[in-house]
Amino acid sequence: MRNVMVAGLCLALAACGGDFSNDDLEFLNALPRREDLAAKLPAKSAGRSGGGQVTRPSALVVRLGEPSKLMGDTEETGRAFNASVDALLSLLEDIRSQPPTTREPDRRVWGPYRDPRHAGHDVRFVMTRAALNFDYRLEYRKTGADEAGWWAFLSGTFEADAGIRKGVGSLHLDVERAQQEGLPANDVAALRRLDIHYQTKALPTRVELAFTPRDGAFPVARYTYREAQDSLGEMQFLMPGQDLVPGGLLEDLSLTTRWSPDGRGMAVLDVLSGDIRGAKYTECWDGQGRVTFTARSWDFFNPTEGERATCPDFSALDG
Amino acid sequence: MSRLPCLTRALALVLALAASAADADTLRRFALVAGNDQGGADTRPLRFARDDARKMHALLLRLGGVAPVDAKLLLNEDARDFLAALAELEQRARAARARGERTALFVYYSGHAKDGALRLGDTRLGFDDLKRRLAEASSDIRIAVLDSCRSGAMTRTKGARRAPAFDIESGASRDARGLVILTSSAADEDSQESDALAGSYFSHHLASGLLGDADRSGDGRVTLFEAYSHAYARTVADTAASSAGPQHPTFSYDLAGNGDLVLTDLRASGGGLIVPGAAPVGTYYFVDPGGLVVAELDKAADVERRVALAPGTYRVKRRLPDRLRIGEVEVRRGHPAVLHEARLQDAPFSDDPVKGGLRADGAWWTLGLAGGVQSYFDAPTRDSLFLSVGMVGAEAQLHDYFRRDWVWGLDVALGSRRAVLMLPTLTGPGYRYAMTSVGTSLTSEWPMGRVAPFLGARMAWLLMRRDFEDEALPDQRFAMFSPGLVAGIRWNPLSRLHLTARARTHYLLYNVDAQRSLGFWELGALVTYQP
Repeated sequence: MRNVMVAGLCLALAACGGDFSNDDLEFLNALPRREDLAAKLPAKSAGRSGGGQVTRPSALVVRLGEPSKLMGDTEETGRAFNASVDALLSLLEDIRSQPPTTREPDRRVWGPYRDPRHAGHDVRFVMTRAALNFDYRLEYRKTGADEAGWWAFLSGTFEADAGIRKGVGSLHLDVERAQQEGLPANDVAALRRLDIHYQTKALPTRVELAFTPRDGAFPVARYTYREAQDSLGEMQFLMPGQDLVPGGLLEDLSLTTRWSPDGRGMAVLDVLSGDIRGAKYTECWDGQGRVTFTARSWDFFNPTEGERATCPDFSALDG
Repeated sequence: MSRLPCLTRALALVLALAASAADADTLRRFALVAGNDQGGADTRPLRFARDDARKMHALLLRLGGVAPVDAKLLLNEDARDFLAALAELEQRARAARARGERTALFVYYSGHAKDGALRLGDTRLGFDDLKRRLAEASSDIRIAVLDSCRSGAMTRTKGARRAPAFDIESGASRDARGLVILTSSAADEDSQESDALAGSYFSHHLASGLLGDADRSGDGRVTLFEAYSHAYARTVADTAASSAGPQHPTFSYDLAGNGDLVLTDLRASGGGLIVPGAAPVGTYYFVDPGGLVVAELDKAADVERRVALAPGTYRVKRRLPDRLRIGEVEVRRGHPAVLHEARLQDAPFSDDPVKGGLRADGAWWTLGLAGGVQSYFDAPTRDSLFLSVGMVGAEAQLHDYFRRDWVWGLDVALGSRRAVLMLPTLTGPGYRYAMTSVGTSLTSEWPMGRVAPFLGARMAWLLMRRDFEDEALPDQRFAMFSPGLVAGIRWNPLSRLHLTARARTHYLLYNVDAQRSLGFWELGALVTYQP
């Protein structure tokens, strides 16, 4: 009889508790998701060709009706952009699937756990809150180390502005520290750090990736994606050392590409240095990715080809 | 009037009754039979008053010489209906008398009585008014049988004399005229019901007597005095050990003439059951298929007895000191069955077929549907954590099992609604909030007529869930036991239908984000059916 009572008591206690927490939801809301930071690339349509091809323009010999190579460049860059976002956010995915291990008034801790992907290391995720500001750190330490042994591989901030993941935030991946601590990070071994800054509280939203190379192997590469109402997208990035026009110098280019959900788009290529420094090339394409309009600021005889009116209205992304 | 020794007077009465029995066939009989489970304020609903009335009505039609057109059966009707039915029968009796017929009016009432009046639901009919009405009625003989609490007060009122059993004075003249009143209890006694008998003790023994057990003369006819003396003895005996104490029926009469009245003719139906003279002595019980004792028979040696059972199959039981003798007999219409001892078999007491073996103190249960609303006292909690929600549910209740007027309930309820989350740093996610409640309660009732306020305690197990439409937000749940109080009022508009309005207040310990003591209230309505 006593065993039955004990069993009944255990059953009753097991039937109590749970994870019904408003604070948990607010902490989770401070973590970005892929759809918040990933670039929404233009949809590929039937009959479209050239899109996504790895073809950097060595010269601007473009004919109307041909597939836009700049559009292909944008799509390729966009996929790389999204891959980088995915790689970073994958570190946070496990957090969403588990309730916190420790709940304190303005602090949540998941872990520590033994990290099965990095033998000999413990991992934990710590979030803190101060008013509307959240800070979080994905921390590692060597198994057996004390509390002071924790260091942050990934850190982030988020300033909430209500709404579902609406606000201003940043993430930082400290690859250099990982290498110093002996934590394998082969996928990003060429980097010293990776930073993401974003704002999702108002349109157009903005996400900026900055790749800082290890030992100055290449200049800091920045990719900026913006999104306006009606899913108008914009990608901006630098293309150094391009041979845009015949001459003795290579050109450093700044490419700004905009697109609409139906596949139409426009690219503006600003020449930052080289033979035609200060020049500007504009190209528009239709839903099939075929060039409908070009404008070369340096071409005295044929400054434009096609109809400018075929270029979509992207004024929502201005400013 | 000289007072003779009791035995002499009783003998004189029996002789007079025998003489008057010959006139029974020429008597036009009218019957008003009323049963009312409800007695208005300050009374508990009875369980079997209407059933007693039904049985008596059927018995009078089958064996009492009352034509269906001359009988009125009133169930849960009020005093106005009672008096209207009585007036109609009186009118019919006057018409019969005008045609030269002798008439008898039989009035039977089973129900509440208190403070000198019959309680018919929320209406009253004073003993004096009823007695005056019967005294003024035109029928030659008026017989009132009142099976109700404190009905003995009526036999003490002016114009009637009260007499204990067998102590009956007789005027010794034929063709009696006047008023006879039988009551089930004395002026200061309650009339008791029995679950095992599914009726009141008095009405059961009166009916059993009219079916034959009271036929001491063995002439196949049961007279008024035989029936009364039988009901008196058996009621006193059966209630002697009850918690309410022995119940003493009373009898009074105001007869201008003399003579007993044959109430039932055991041969009238042509059927029934004959217990041969050679059958063993003892008390026989006749149990219907529902397990209820419909008749009893105290069998003496070498005397053939007849029990006017209605057609049907009965189990017959005779109790011996160490065992039962049990058998089955089928009674057919128009052909009296004979009980053969050889068809009875020995059986242990555990095989007693009589209903009521579980509990004699009258537990009963109900099953019902409930609806209500639940809301937390703390505004932020009910706005963004545990929402106010409407609920539907089911509930089973067991009444009078642990203790009289205690109710043990088991309930389950579900509630759900859609909502939008509104938090300081997170606004907009849509979700569905759902609440499940499983509870048990123990309440005490204070019956006051058809209504019964109650108060008690409840323990519930609550499960709250919210499922978000945005898959990035995890679905959440919380479960906890929650003690509380419950109060309300139960209304019994129909005999088996109960309407309950209730309020609950509960304590809930919330311990996810932090230890918080929360409270919530529930308002609800419950419709229950008593099978």
